[in-house]
Amino acid sequence: MPFVRRYKDLSTDLDGLYADIVRELQQEKDLEIVKETNGVINDVGIRSVTAIRATVPRAVTGTLREVTVTVAGEPDDWLLELHTGAWFGNMVLPGAGGFLVAGPFGSAAAAGTTTLLAVTYGRKLKNRIKELVKKHSGKKYTEEKIETFIS
Amino acid sequence: MPYVKRYKDLNTDLDAVYDDIKYELQTGKELNVVKEQDGTVNGVPFRSIFAVRESVPKVLTGTLREATVTITGVADDWLLEVHTGAWFNNLITPATGGLIVAGPLGGLAASGTAAVYAVKFERDLKNRIKEVVRKHSKKPYSEDKVETF
Repeated sequence: MPFVRRYKDLSTDLDGLYADIVRELQQEKDLEIVKETNGVINDVGIRSVTAIRATVPRAVTGTLREVTVTVAGEPDDWLLELHTGAWFGNMVLPGAGGFLVAGPFGSAAAAGTTTLLAVTYGRKLKNRIKELVKKHSGKKYTEEKIETFIS
Repeated sequence: MPYVKRYKDLNTDLDAVYDDIKYELQTGKELNVVKEQDGTVNGVPFRSIFAVRESVPKVLTGTLREATVTITGVADDWLLEVHTGAWFNNLITPATGGLIVAGPLGGLAASGTAAVYAVKFERDLKNRIKEVVRKHSKKPYSEDKVETF
């Protein structure tokens, strides 16, 4: 599930922020950047990067499949969208001992303990982006300058 | 939001289903197939295809950004997952007169009527896949052989 944040009154260097986010994705060995979009839509700047898993995973369910990060707007009013997709994420149900996996692939989930899970990676990237926004903002970062949209 | 379907007792030719789905993605004018994965996961055959939007869209909010289709399993018990991603979909909120877009990109949603919206693309692809599954299954297709997650 993607989340969107709106940042206001931060005077953020969006080019610098975007470049650092791309670097983060490049450093993740399980990911491969397949697309970057950079342009203007109705006078609003947009930059978007998509990275996907480079190889067939050892475990399927919940494993990170793709990541897309989009930055759109201007230094004092801009949006960030972070999407992380997982294979068969909606077959994972919380259970007493951890997770139960519906369907024929239960063992595939249990077998991969070292796999890069979308939920873990999404949390890690979210925290890293917060640091990067602070780094590239000319004004003081405070929580009231940020609005989060989750559907 | 991705959807997953489990198909049982259809004796489906999964290679042929995959090839037809790939053809659908390749012929969609807005998409470009960028990656295919083919292998096994714990002995279970696994194929996945990724397509992303080719160009900067004219409209942002709700526009199709990427599509992923995965098939895994064997002819009589297999899973299909379809994921379509859209930009800033969760900024769109329903209102009396249509849709309201929050944030600084409100104007962008209203201006483009020719955009390929993820929701429409997914619906069309879902219907097309249903036809493809019927075409490549040797046993009769019925809804009770299909479970949706």
